[in-house]
Amino acid sequence: MRILVVEDEVRLLRNLAKALREEGYAVDTAEAGDDGPYKAESYDYDAIVLDVMLPGLDGWQVLDKLRKRKRTPVLMLTARDTPQDRVRGLDTGADDYLIKPFDLSELLARLRALIRRSAGGASSEIELNDVVLDTRTRHVTLRGESVTLTAREYAILEYLALHRGEVVTRTALYEHLFDESDDSLSNLLDVHIFSIRKKLGAELIVTRRGHGYCIES
Amino acid sequence: MFTHSIRWRFQFWLAFLLLCILSGFGFTAYQLHRTNQLRHTDQELERRVAAIGRALRESRPFGQRPRRPSGEGEFLPPSDSWRQNSLMLSNAPEVRPPPRTIVLPQPVLNLFDEADPNGFYFFIWSPAQEPILRSTNAPASVPIPVYQDTGTQISTRMRGAFRERFYFNTPRECILVGQSIRGDLAGLRRFALWLGIAGAAVLGLGLGGGWWLTSRALQPVNEISAAAARISGGNLAERINVADTDSELGRLAAVLNSTFSRLEASFARQKQFTADASHELRTPLAVIISEAQTTLTRPREPAEYRESFEACLDTAQQMRRLTDSLLQLARADAGAEPLEYRNVDLAQLARECVERLQRLAAEHQLAVHCELDPAPVYANADRIRQVVTNLLSNAIHYNKPNGEIRIATRVEKGHPVLIVRDTGQGIAPDDLPHIFERFYRADKSRARSSERTGLGLAISKAIVEADGGTIEASSQAGVGTQFTVRFKARESR
Repeated sequence: MRILVVEDEVRLLRNLAKALREEGYAVDTAEAGDDGPYKAESYDYDAIVLDVMLPGLDGWQVLDKLRKRKRTPVLMLTARDTPQDRVRGLDTGADDYLIKPFDLSELLARLRALIRRSAGGASSEIELNDVVLDTRTRHVTLRGESVTLTAREYAILEYLALHRGEVVTRTALYEHLFDESDDSLSNLLDVHIFSIRKKLGAELIVTRRGHGYCIES
Repeated sequence: MFTHSIRWRFQFWLAFLLLCILSGFGFTAYQLHRTNQLRHTDQELERRVAAIGRALRESRPFGQRPRRPSGEGEFLPPSDSWRQNSLMLSNAPEVRPPPRTIVLPQPVLNLFDEADPNGFYFFIWSPAQEPILRSTNAPASVPIPVYQDTGTQISTRMRGAFRERFYFNTPRECILVGQSIRGDLAGLRRFALWLGIAGAAVLGLGLGGGWWLTSRALQPVNEISAAAARISGGNLAERINVADTDSELGRLAAVLNSTFSRLEASFARQKQFTADASHELRTPLAVIISEAQTTLTRPREPAEYRESFEACLDTAQQMRRLTDSLLQLARADAGAEPLEYRNVDLAQLARECVERLQRLAAEHQLAVHCELDPAPVYANADRIRQVVTNLLSNAIHYNKPNGEIRIATRVEKGHPVLIVRDTGQGIAPDDLPHIFERFYRADKSRARSSERTGLGLAISKAIVEADGGTIEASSQAGVGTQFTVRFKARESR
């Protein structure tokens, strides 16, 4: 999953990026209001964490502009906590609203829920026949027995699982799994897919030649 | 309860006033009427007395006893014995001329309707106080008036329900004409009664009218006080409806409305400040918590821990600066700051601050020029240093590289003055009126720096103004900015 964090407090931004990356997300960052909308509209993020108080274009305006083009789930972060601000945020198109200072674990859980919901899933567990993914613990089991995947492998599997039934192009996988701070080579994708197949069975991920990958429903 | 209500007091005073006026009027009317009645009666009595008097005079040529042909009247039996009707000079103590017989001429008698018991009657006494003649309708007993002196020679008296006028003529005969004024008295009483009723009616009407008027007049007052209660109880945005702005009540309502506007603005400012302060504090808190939580998610290298701690410490210091500033502002707002005041020299304090910030200025490649003339001021040294430091640090922060800062102190027209000038980017005219506001940051495009709380100028302003001074800023975009602080003129000791 690729996430955009827009926050003007530099330390917080760095910190959030670090925490999210350690969770296995690919993270892009933007400090100011001009950078944020540009990036948000340019890429298809899986979620955006947006601070309300931004210099230049403020959070509301960024959200407004974004909603004209995209349906990316947005979690708003703010130090403003009056009900009016919350209402405004949710009405303007935010999918969730978190008050600073927040607990990191809460932020992560809400992000997971956002992503899950936008992919149509309701629970934190995804069942793919014999394979069960727990998106909370990032744990995968095959017929009940736990399987170890690397962070990247898990990310790919999760993305495909959340878009079950859809053909996900390689480009899309790149976009959603690697962020601007990565300088990966495309081959890596194939290597990861191979590794997943080895661990979980070859039938799980289907290759559609010329199109992409798919986990069939 | 009654004494507090304007309406009841008004009614009371109105009733009192009306009562006085009506009583006065009624009393006067009654008196006038009565006097008039009596005068009329008296005139009639006088006429008759005069007529009888004339008649007697004419019928009494000295020594003669005239007889008139047609005379009516009751002969009274002479008392005692007949005596000569001539003046007898004798030494007898009481010489009473015999009561003479009198016959009154008809015209005179016509003045008396002897058939009417309430009509005029007459009585004539001899000088010996013996009744000579009387009219038939005279009351049974009429006491003879007393002759006292020439003052009572001719006079009027009221005897119960009879009004009588009497006259002692030259031979000391007493002529009395009277009339029962029972009817008149009854009439007067009726008149008085009518006056009373009319007066009561007018009083009632007046009070009723007064009540209605006060209702009309007090209704807007009640409306205003109800609206004011509503507004001050909750909704400060509401205003009193002022229909007639020029009346006294209209002016009152206008004053109240403007007070409410000021209150609303003040509350809004307070709310805004609280919201801003809370926001400013929450952000560094978020950083610390986030930093700590992230670092703790998994085991890390000591270097990472160190970095994390340093970041937390940094941010905590920033919060400390912020809370210090906020506390200072809060105390200034509450007006409670007992500080130690001394005679200090602005120049000296400025010099100290420049020395302290010299290195920072050098780091920003800025030159600092001082023109510090002695400027004594009676203030708190720490606070003044705070102001100077704030102005200097702003000058450093918002300056161009290789720019300069000029700081000057002197006395102008008795006022100690401090001037700090920089060659920085300047402040836009739109922002200039706002820079002393709390948390106002003119340079919004600049990402928030952890050094700047946005409260520095607000605090400086609070400090300066608490001492009765002024602080002003002037600026030219792209050229520079100048801050002028003027302190209160020192009182001569």
